[in-house]
Amino acid sequence: MTPTHEGAGTQAGAWKSRGFDERSADERIADELERCARLGTPAASERLHELDHEWDTDRVIETEVAMVGLVGLALGAFWRRELLVLPALVAANMLVHARTGHYPLSPVLRRLGFRTAREIERERHALKALRGDYSPDDTPAPASRGAPGQSPATDGGKPSELH
Amino acid sequence: MTLSERLPPTTRRVELHTAEEINRRIELETDSRVARLAARFPMSRYEDRLQELDAEWDVERVLQANASTLALGGVLLGALVDRRFLALPTAVFGFLAMHAVQGWCPPIPVIRRLGVRTAHEIGRERHALKVLRGDYDGIPAADSAEPGDRVRAALEAVDR
Repeated sequence: MTPTHEGAGTQAGAWKSRGFDERSADERIADELERCARLGTPAASERLHELDHEWDTDRVIETEVAMVGLVGLALGAFWRRELLVLPALVAANMLVHARTGHYPLSPVLRRLGFRTAREIERERHALKALRGDYSPDDTPAPASRGAPGQSPATDGGKPSELH
Repeated sequence: MTLSERLPPTTRRVELHTAEEINRRIELETDSRVARLAARFPMSRYEDRLQELDAEWDVERVLQANASTLALGGVLLGALVDRRFLALPTAVFGFLAMHAVQGWCPPIPVIRRLGVRTAHEIGRERHALKVLRGDYDGIPAADSAEPGDRVRAALEAVDR
C-alpha cells in the first residue's frame, strides 16, 4: 500500500479514513517512525502534534457509550420501556471495560484503526528518542520547568503546550 | 484542519479543564517522586515503580467506572421504581459525552483534587524513569546509522 502524501504526517489520517489497514499496528508504527527518521526533526514534531490529537480507544468508547445510552434512554422513556435495556447494557459494558479492559466493540474499534493510549504513547516516546530528546550530549529540546536531575527530557520540544 | 484538530488534544483535554494549581501540584508530586527514586534507590526499584505505574488507575478509568455505576443504577431505578429517575442516567451520559469530546465533566475537579492522573501524566513519569535507567542510551545518532536500525533501537528502548 502506498499512502498519499498530502503533507508530512497525514498517512495515519489517510489510512483511518479508508477505515481499514491490513498491516499490523506494529508495522504501522515502524513505518511511520522510519518515515519521520528519514525526514528529520520537523516531520517528527508534526507527527507528535498529530499523536496528541489522535483519539484513543477510551475517548471513542466514552463517546459511543454516551451516544447509545442517550438514544436508548429517549426510546425507553418515550416509546417502549423495554428499550431501557440498551442504556443498561452499554453502562454495564463500560463498567466491565473500566475494571477489566474488555469491551465487546474492541475488535471493531481495532479494525477501524483506533489505538489505546498506551500504544500511542509507545510511538510518541520512540519518536522523541529518535528526535534526540533523550540523548545527553545534544539536546535540541528547550529546558523544562523541572529542576536539574529531574529528567526534563520527557517534556521537551513542546513549549507552547502545558508540558 | 480536521475535526479532531479543532477539538482539544486527547492527551491534554483533562489538564486543560483542571485548575492550574492542581495540575501544578500533580506535576510537582510526580517530579519529586522521580527525584527521590533517582537519588536514593537502586536500579532494581525502578522495575517495581514501573509496574506500579502500569497498574495505576488513570482519570479515564476512574471516570468510566463511576459513570457506568451511576448510569446503571439510574436506569434500574427508572425502570423499576419511578420513571423520573431516568433523569440521572440522562445527565450522566450527557456529561460523559462532554468529557469525551471536550475534557470536562462535573466529577473532574473532585477526581483531580484527589490526585488521579491522566494517562499522559503517568506516561511522563514512566518515561522519565526509563530515561534515568538508561533505556534510551543505546540509540545510534542520526548520522551514524540507517533509519531502520535507529527505529528498531528506539522501539526496543520504549518496550524495555
